[in-house]
Amino acid sequence: MAAPRPALRIRRLTKSFAGTVALADFELDIAPGEVHALVGENGSGKSTVIKILAGYHRPDPGGTVEIDGTALPFGSAPAAHEMGCRFVHQDLGLVLQLPVVDNLYLNSGFASRFGTIRGAQTRRQASELLKRVGLELDPRASVGSLTLAQRTGVALARALEGEDHRQVRLLVLDEPTATLPEIEVHHLLDMVRRVAADGVAVLYVSHRLDEIFHVADNVTVLRDGHPVATTPVSSLDKRQLIAMLVGDELGELPSPLAGRAGGPAALSVQDLHGPGVAGVTFRARPGEILGFAGITGSGRESLLGTVFGALPRRGGVVEAGGRPLPPYDPRAAIVAGLAYLPPDRKVTGAVMDLSARENLSICRLRSVRSGLLLRGKAERAEARLWFDRLCVRPAGAIEKQLATFSGGNQQKVLFAKWLRLSPRVFLLDEPTQGVDVGTKGELHRQLLAAAAAGATVVVSSSDLEELVALCHRVLVLRAGRVAAGFDGSSVTTASISRASLGEQEVVAA
Amino acid sequence: MNSRLGSQRISLGFNSFSGLYLLALFIVVFGIWTPRLFLTLATVQSVASQQATTAMLAIAVLIPIAAGAYDLSVGATINLSTIICVWLQTVRGWSMWPAIAVAVGACVVVGMVNGLVIVRLRVNSFIATLGMGSIITAVQDIVSGQNQPNPPTGTSWMNLTQLNVAGFQIIVLYLLVLALIVWWALDHTPAGRYLYAIGGNPEASRLAGVAVGRYTWCAMIGSATVAGIAGVFYASQTGPSLTFGAGLLLPAFAAVFLGSTQIKPGRFNLWGTMLAIYVLAVGVKGLQLITGVQWLAEMFNGVALVGAVSFAIWRQRLAEGRAVRRNEDRLPEAGASGPSAAKDAEPVPSRAGDG
Repeated sequence: MAAPRPALRIRRLTKSFAGTVALADFELDIAPGEVHALVGENGSGKSTVIKILAGYHRPDPGGTVEIDGTALPFGSAPAAHEMGCRFVHQDLGLVLQLPVVDNLYLNSGFASRFGTIRGAQTRRQASELLKRVGLELDPRASVGSLTLAQRTGVALARALEGEDHRQVRLLVLDEPTATLPEIEVHHLLDMVRRVAADGVAVLYVSHRLDEIFHVADNVTVLRDGHPVATTPVSSLDKRQLIAMLVGDELGELPSPLAGRAGGPAALSVQDLHGPGVAGVTFRARPGEILGFAGITGSGRESLLGTVFGALPRRGGVVEAGGRPLPPYDPRAAIVAGLAYLPPDRKVTGAVMDLSARENLSICRLRSVRSGLLLRGKAERAEARLWFDRLCVRPAGAIEKQLATFSGGNQQKVLFAKWLRLSPRVFLLDEPTQGVDVGTKGELHRQLLAAAAAGATVVVSSSDLEELVALCHRVLVLRAGRVAAGFDGSSVTTASISRASLGEQEVVAA
Repeated sequence: MNSRLGSQRISLGFNSFSGLYLLALFIVVFGIWTPRLFLTLATVQSVASQQATTAMLAIAVLIPIAAGAYDLSVGATINLSTIICVWLQTVRGWSMWPAIAVAVGACVVVGMVNGLVIVRLRVNSFIATLGMGSIITAVQDIVSGQNQPNPPTGTSWMNLTQLNVAGFQIIVLYLLVLALIVWWALDHTPAGRYLYAIGGNPEASRLAGVAVGRYTWCAMIGSATVAGIAGVFYASQTGPSLTFGAGLLLPAFAAVFLGSTQIKPGRFNLWGTMLAIYVLAVGVKGLQLITGVQWLAEMFNGVALVGAVSFAIWRQRLAEGRAVRRNEDRLPEAGASGPSAAKDAEPVPSRAGDG
């Protein structure tokens, strides 16, 4: 190619974690001024690429990364910064209460004289910086008062900020639009194009395929750690891109579970509104395992929390066994026979400082108490029973702090905490997150057993294979609504993936 | 704050019972230094009874702190109780028991208001009770007209706390009973379990169906009630004072925090708190007998608090450091399935990333 020297050149980049290959023989060129999209499903290796560039992971020996012709030393964040690599993450790292100008200069230092900030000069610089990304706003405005797209713009501007801005060679944007409302996306894409027009190479990672056609020049597709293709965006249409992303999986086996669900609904949700959820309706019957899929920002992350009452409900009706549940009231939900495993163990799922035994019994102490006293012996016996039943390791360590268990065993304990209530409806948010393969199998077995015993199981997961393996029926969320539904043999990772990414399907909910 | 201090639960090693070793060390050192003053039954008796009200106030602090709420108003509350109880008897001529009932009742109201502000108005407990303490002090001034009332003189009033039981003032027995009740409530009843769960993670507790607001409220009432009872005993034992409560606040908090490094490290617990109170008291007593200076108590309490808690945190960091190194060896496959794992492993390489 007679093209100019690429701003970023990656050759034979491989990274494996404890035997599994996360990224294999990855190659990538980005010219100055080019916007290059990197797409792939969860676990395809996108974040590994970013983390290697950022100096967080060291790749396996043999690969090279060159910035503007100079080799990038691996494993050093300061070196990456020094060589002109900048990163904007989904979490923008802005202080909402502070004005824009303070956010821009907090890290790099303000223009000052005799230790006093030179307000007027700093504001002037800030305005110029913001203009480079196409933002015309008062630098004294607090970041909290800006739209989400404007905030991302401020983060972009901050990434470009430097004594000599030309030293910024590569800007990596990691899912910048994941939390942006549709109408603000274009504003952000304009800003990205403007940054690229300044001669910066942009690596753009996103799940939203539509915007790739708007913003990117070229696209590289990753699947299972392998680069599948790199092509100019203009030579593709969305259908072809989706085909590259999910591969040809049409011949895949259908769900092994026969749909044995029957009878009236155990859980009925009508026109539910909540954070990220904009009018979801579904019913689940006893014995049924119902799955929810969707990309980040589709409402998948907050749906089950809103149903249970962990998150505030803004509208709609939730009925369990025919009786309506009050919004935002976990106690009422538990009494009605619901169980909820939140997506984040540490933050909302467990009291990590308490022992495994105490976490196990917290939901219902009635069965281990007589009068006002807790019967320690009965409680311990019950905890041991559940440890045995779910093979929690270390075996019998019921008095150990929950924080000291591995992720998989913590999840087993939290699972047992709900199983012992024999709930009628399980709501499981990412039930096997950060859990090893063996534990995953054990948890799935317990779920299938619970469903076989007549419980309703609702699983929300970003792991499509998990949904395919477990669910009788899968509903796909997009923009807070149910966009597609699959049941029986139509539940495949390919079909779910296509629907999640926005290819039209017949709604069969 | 809760449970960031230690890593292990019950163990018989130095970790859990360092206070007892320290106590033994004090007794040996001061016993050798000044045996005739220190190694006497009188010393034991006076330390035990002098510290009884402070220990009760520490229990008052302990109840809400188990649930993650600070009650900084206990110092003012114990003072209010003392003044009301004495003022009703000597100025208004009430008899003892009604005066005690009204004093403790006023403190229950204080606890209810604290709970209201924290649970209903969602004010941070630190701020709510700091403000409440100031308000109580003002109310106390209004009631007393800033004149310290004379102490009641009846023998039944004195005997309330100073009756001799096996050489000890009976207040020591009261403390023991109170400690037993609160220990039983915290460690062996559902309510206690809920308090610790709330203190550990309020949102996870709420999602497990725990009535977080109701139990926090009860903890604030319990705290103020215990402070009120302690105030009555203080009045009977020592006499009224317009300001003593503020001086007891720090030792009470110090004992609770020190206590969380003892017996059940990492958890605010009753016997650890009691141990801390008396280890500190023995140390102060010994030093005072030797040197005779008065500022020792303050200095000793402060140094012991900062020193012991720093030591516990340092140990915790060592343990966590080992755990982190262990986990790094088996980092989850990037982006595979764990949002939490991925968050933990999020790099902060750019300027955009931190701030």
